[in-house]
Amino acid sequence: MIRIIARKEFAEIVRDGRFMWTAALMVLLLLTAMLAGWQRHGSYMATQAAAQGATNTQWLKQGDKNPHTAAHYGNYAFKPLGPLAFFDNGVTNYTGTTVFMEAHKQNFAIASPAADTSAISRFGELNGAMILQVLMPLLIIFLGFTAFAGERESGTIRQVMSMGISRTSLLGGKALGLAAAVLIVVVPCVIIGAVFIAMTDLPVVGEGLVTRIALLTIAYLAYAGIFLFLTLAVSAWSRSPRAALMVLVGFWAFTAFIMPKTAAEISKAVHPSPSYGSFMAAMKAHQARGFDGTPPWAELGKFQGQMMRKYRVSDVKDLPFYWTAVRMQRLEELDQRVFNQHFGAVTAAYAAQRRLQDRIGLLAPTLPLRSISMGLAGTDLIQQQKFQDDAESFREAMVSKMNGYLSKAAVSLNGVNSASNYLIANEDVFAIVPPFRYQPPALATTLSEHWMNFAVLAFWLGAAILLALLGVQRMSLERD
Amino acid sequence: MYRLIVMHETRALARTGALWAILALLIFAIAFAAWSGGRSVSRQVKGASDAASYEAAMRDRMRTETAEYEAKVEATGGPYEFATVRHAPGQGPPQGTNAGAVGGETAVYVALPPTGLAALSIGLSDIQLDYLPITMGKSLAMTANAELENPVNLLAGSFDVAFVVIFLLPIFILAMTYDLLSSEQERGTLAMILAHPVSLRKLMASKLMARAAIILMVVTGLGLVAVLTVGTQLETPETWLRFGLWIIATLVYSMFWFALAVLVNLYGQSSATNGTILAGAWLILVVIIPTLISLVATTVYPVPSRMDLTVAAREAQSAAEKNMDKSLNAFYAEHLEYVPAGDQRAMDFMTLGQASANTIEKALSPLYAGFQVRRDQQQGLVQRFQYLSPAVMMQLALNEIAGTSGQRYEDFLQQAVAFRAEWNDYFAERFLRQDPLRPADYDSFPVFRYRPEAFSTVLLRLAPSLLGLLVLLLGVAMVPFFGIRRYQVAAR
Repeated sequence: MIRIIARKEFAEIVRDGRFMWTAALMVLLLLTAMLAGWQRHGSYMATQAAAQGATNTQWLKQGDKNPHTAAHYGNYAFKPLGPLAFFDNGVTNYTGTTVFMEAHKQNFAIASPAADTSAISRFGELNGAMILQVLMPLLIIFLGFTAFAGERESGTIRQVMSMGISRTSLLGGKALGLAAAVLIVVVPCVIIGAVFIAMTDLPVVGEGLVTRIALLTIAYLAYAGIFLFLTLAVSAWSRSPRAALMVLVGFWAFTAFIMPKTAAEISKAVHPSPSYGSFMAAMKAHQARGFDGTPPWAELGKFQGQMMRKYRVSDVKDLPFYWTAVRMQRLEELDQRVFNQHFGAVTAAYAAQRRLQDRIGLLAPTLPLRSISMGLAGTDLIQQQKFQDDAESFREAMVSKMNGYLSKAAVSLNGVNSASNYLIANEDVFAIVPPFRYQPPALATTLSEHWMNFAVLAFWLGAAILLALLGVQRMSLERD
Repeated sequence: MYRLIVMHETRALARTGALWAILALLIFAIAFAAWSGGRSVSRQVKGASDAASYEAAMRDRMRTETAEYEAKVEATGGPYEFATVRHAPGQGPPQGTNAGAVGGETAVYVALPPTGLAALSIGLSDIQLDYLPITMGKSLAMTANAELENPVNLLAGSFDVAFVVIFLLPIFILAMTYDLLSSEQERGTLAMILAHPVSLRKLMASKLMARAAIILMVVTGLGLVAVLTVGTQLETPETWLRFGLWIIATLVYSMFWFALAVLVNLYGQSSATNGTILAGAWLILVVIIPTLISLVATTVYPVPSRMDLTVAAREAQSAAEKNMDKSLNAFYAEHLEYVPAGDQRAMDFMTLGQASANTIEKALSPLYAGFQVRRDQQQGLVQRFQYLSPAVMMQLALNEIAGTSGQRYEDFLQQAVAFRAEWNDYFAERFLRQDPLRPADYDSFPVFRYRPEAFSTVLLRLAPSLLGLLVLLLGVAMVPFFGIRRYQVAAR
């Protein structure tokens, strides 16, 4: 019986004019978005690889110079994109792509694509994820809001019930029919997307591509299921098709458009993060003041005393290492504590904002799905943070290697170093700094951050099914 | 009769829960939007003032040290000398006498002041930095240009009043009007009403009037409250001129959605179908077309990657360093006035830096020009395609009115670039001549004064979007105005 109802429902939906139009629009947009995303992803990755290769060579071929000067010249880290960025570009447009790694300074990732676009970009980006998160629910609503309300209005529901079918089977049949209609629109597009991935010969950044795709599929199916059962539930509960439509479209606008912004504003108010100007002023002042109130030059004086006592010498030039280099390294470490505190506070505020927004997902299922989708596509905040952390570790290692080399190689210059008399190193020395490699967070890290979002989605799915079951049980068969 | 129907419609609307729910949501949304818009603007303003006052305090300290040094020199009768750059306390003249240290190691911030209505439409001001650090030697294109904000929040975008007007107001309007005629048709009351001496045109107009009056009064009233609470510069007429434009834009935009609902109702479909069509129209006009325009703009005119720019800048830097002697000579050849007397070329790193900065900037200027061309092309494409969607026209109009448009920022950038040249020249000249700064010189440092754009410029930029909205409204309203007589009232 369920199969018959499902077949009838499916046939009815597919024959309706609404289906043709919405399905055609959806397929067209999804294909356009995937194609554009694929093209953009490919050209980004090619540019990124070329740029990283070029600056790595530039580091080696920077010309013979003092190792510390070489650390000032520094290197750049360019962010590679996650494996599924063509499908869900996530926060990519709003994050820096480039980190300058130099001596004495920790820098933010700069050059975010959004800084170079026009105001229209704030309407959002048309990509595969956006279409599945925003348009697919509306497709489900459009195709399904009449499921019960329409049949009640036309009076056919009484005839169906007179066949002796249980209300639960009726719901099951309707759900299957509707699901089939939605899937024949979405599945071909997803397959085409998979073909795109297979055609890409780009290096895959991040492991577990198959697991990622499988989990993404589960998450999006759950999301579709939430809207499917909510649509059926509202259709059963409401008095007329138009009332059902009103409620459903209202909920859709609420979860897809209103809540992401609302959650962002709330999280900003609850966990404030500094603006660029406030951040820089506070950090520079702290740096000059010294981490715990002792200015760096005083700390360095203390350090000099310690070293001289330790090696029992009365003049720095008798130290068994190149004092200038060790002093610079010490300054680096003093500054590092200040950087860590200030950059760490921003990171912590962002992470707290993200978690709060995920929690607000209890009110709007689009929020947890958005997080999961970005996370698995490798385009979320966690990945961005890992990139910046990797760049910072690289910077620290680079500076300490250069200073370390200098401290050993230039011992003979102790006490006689001047602007015209200092050690010059060459390419072989610069090569002790291995090229920058971004190690994307393991899939397990991503999942451990997102298990809550999966739970919220499951909660929503359960609630929607429950509402639909209750709805059909209590549904009146009479027209108003 | 006319008044009677309007009164009746208003009373009927007031009895339904839907109207009150919609009004409550609207009030809540605008209040929330005004609150978050106000927060966003004050965060920016605070950032600008924190950064500027930190740097000013640095210069003040340098000035104090220089004044102490001057007093000491006058007392002892020694020469007033120029300090070499160093980064730890030491003997000799203070750093404040060195123009390179003052102009190159402290920054001066140039700021784009928000207009009185900035809180109503955030535009790109949460991404673009409205205050830029200017230092000697460093090209503006290579300094920070992005505000510090959580990318997750940037992705979601601001919940500002512009969002409420552009996205939510149409939903509320459509929710009140999607069944304007179809509900009467479905209940069978339409024919009965029209049996009275009232034309369909009049009936329609009064129904529309009742709804439009309520919504528009509430929206403009809330807009006024928002301006009074989170607006600034309320004493200047310009703020109120801008608010006048805001009201005009909002009215025209709202009327478009009313007209669209009437248009769809005239085709005589069921309420549910009308609802579907109007929800679909909203989706296409407010979400799909804008994102498609954005996609086309960035695909047809992709801005060159900043990553390529970084590599090229580095290439130029390396070349400049390798040819340091050459570039220094080239620099001195161009700026004979800077060659120190007696030619004791102070080869300290700042002189070299200054010389190589010029070489690098020259090498990169064609690349920057390429950036600018592509951004202008993108902007031009958006300007041309905006007529496809009332939401895009409205967004551009509201950004212009709130002073958060790309063009106003572009104008600010040009002023900033000009000021950088002024700042750079002032300090570079003193530095390269090794001419020690006196405390009194601190008063003659270049000062950035933002030159506001003429209001006529703003109006001129606003005109295409506003006129486009008006033409669209007239076009959409025309169809029902003439087509209403063909409406079939009898049951079908």
